[in-house]
Amino acid sequence: MRIILFFVTAILVGIVYIYFFYDLKLAFDSFQNGFINVSIVFIAFFTFIIIFRYISFLFFSLMKTAQKTAEFRFNDRYFNPRVTIIVPAYGEEVTIATSIKSLVNQTYKNLEILIMDDGSKDNTYKIAKKFEGYYKGKIIKVLTKKNGGKSRALNFAIERCSGELVMCVDADSKLEDDAVELMVRYFQDKEISAVAGSVFVSNTNNILTKLQALEYIEGLNMVRNGQAWLKLVNIIPGPIGMFRKSAIMEVGRYAHDTFAEDADLTLKLIERGHKIDFEPDAIAKTEAPDELLILLKQRYRWTRGILQAIRKHSAHLFKFTNFNFSVVLWYMLFEAIFWPFMDFFVNVFLIYISLSQGVNTLLVYWWLLFTIVDISGALYCILITNEKKTLAFYAVFYRLYFISIINIAKIFATIEEWFNIEMSWGKLERKGI
Amino acid sequence: MNFIAFLSFAVLVIIILTLVFGMGAYFLYKIRERQRRKGSDVITYEEFLDENGRKYMFFDEVKLK
Repeated sequence: MRIILFFVTAILVGIVYIYFFYDLKLAFDSFQNGFINVSIVFIAFFTFIIIFRYISFLFFSLMKTAQKTAEFRFNDRYFNPRVTIIVPAYGEEVTIATSIKSLVNQTYKNLEILIMDDGSKDNTYKIAKKFEGYYKGKIIKVLTKKNGGKSRALNFAIERCSGELVMCVDADSKLEDDAVELMVRYFQDKEISAVAGSVFVSNTNNILTKLQALEYIEGLNMVRNGQAWLKLVNIIPGPIGMFRKSAIMEVGRYAHDTFAEDADLTLKLIERGHKIDFEPDAIAKTEAPDELLILLKQRYRWTRGILQAIRKHSAHLFKFTNFNFSVVLWYMLFEAIFWPFMDFFVNVFLIYISLSQGVNTLLVYWWLLFTIVDISGALYCILITNEKKTLAFYAVFYRLYFISIINIAKIFATIEEWFNIEMSWGKLERKGI
Repeated sequence: MNFIAFLSFAVLVIIILTLVFGMGAYFLYKIRERQRRKGSDVITYEEFLDENGRKYMFFDEVKLK
């Protein structure tokens, strides 16, 4: 079924791209302006790259799923290392109790749960402290320290935990009961230093959160599944990620000089040649922003954080001594900067063409190209997970509405990062849904 | 008007509206952040005490002219 979906997508996208290219050529012939003509060539190339990226990830994802089925046929039952789940919490009084309860129900037995309060001003520490002790064979510890940011809180907890494997989980995430068990298996391979899990949206109660749910399964989880085929997952998400403690210590733990400490740590691991995998069935449900301005705040912070992380390693962009690492950096740069800018440019260009020459069918082909890949990506992920099938419907206006708005925030974030404009961490308000 | 032409027009309108809406939303977000930051410049007495290791401050009463 998945293979059929892949081939149908590739064929449909190929046909629409030919129509799109033909219309672009007509526009190229009708304009005598050099800038416009160069733009048209650039757009044809850019669109090809984006479509190629999608199809490649869909293919890689297929390969990864096949590879996973083969790998775990001979699972070692006696592999049972101590795992510490670290939950950094700042101002999480609404969500912390639910989070702890979901962790206690994990099917994996050799587990330590470490709640790391980062000097919360609310009752986070008091609420968490009530859970301290032994529950269902798991140890629950609660630590607190003066407020110093998520990265310092994580490092503080990593230094004090007893687990050979460390799992970092956001306080507002709810893990599926078998998440730890599914992720631990990967560490039988000594070369694997980290494993990312799937993040799903828990509060799909309005269009904005439904679009984010689609983005999480298609734009993030499918891409990570594809990257995992190459063992080069480039960001281990905050809501669910497991690391070998020795690897974290080797790369100097979490850094404090970026707003995307998870991206920075992952990059440091890849730089040292560590392999990073992905387990699609290990699921964490997280609360997505349900208001547009809060969503923009989140994406602004992500973009600047990722750019800060890339800048720290920018020396590797042009010296390909560590080929895998350089490719990962270029890929991240493409996603963070090139893509949003080009998407905005193409939109403005299509408006210009329509206003100067009349409404052009290029618009439909442009929208159709991305809608086909978005629907296919969504269907593919729905096939391999238990997400709601209705999410695929939102792909129709996912690109036009959602991605365009997110890209505007990314563009401004990039400009402000370039000019080094001051920013604060800020906290996203959670409702505990 | 055929279907493709109608769809092209619809996509054009949506693109224009989304870009205007997206820009507006971003600037609204920035304004809100700036207002929040201004608001957070004022700290409560309890926060001040926390920052100073809970050393209490005492004030002398001054008669205003």
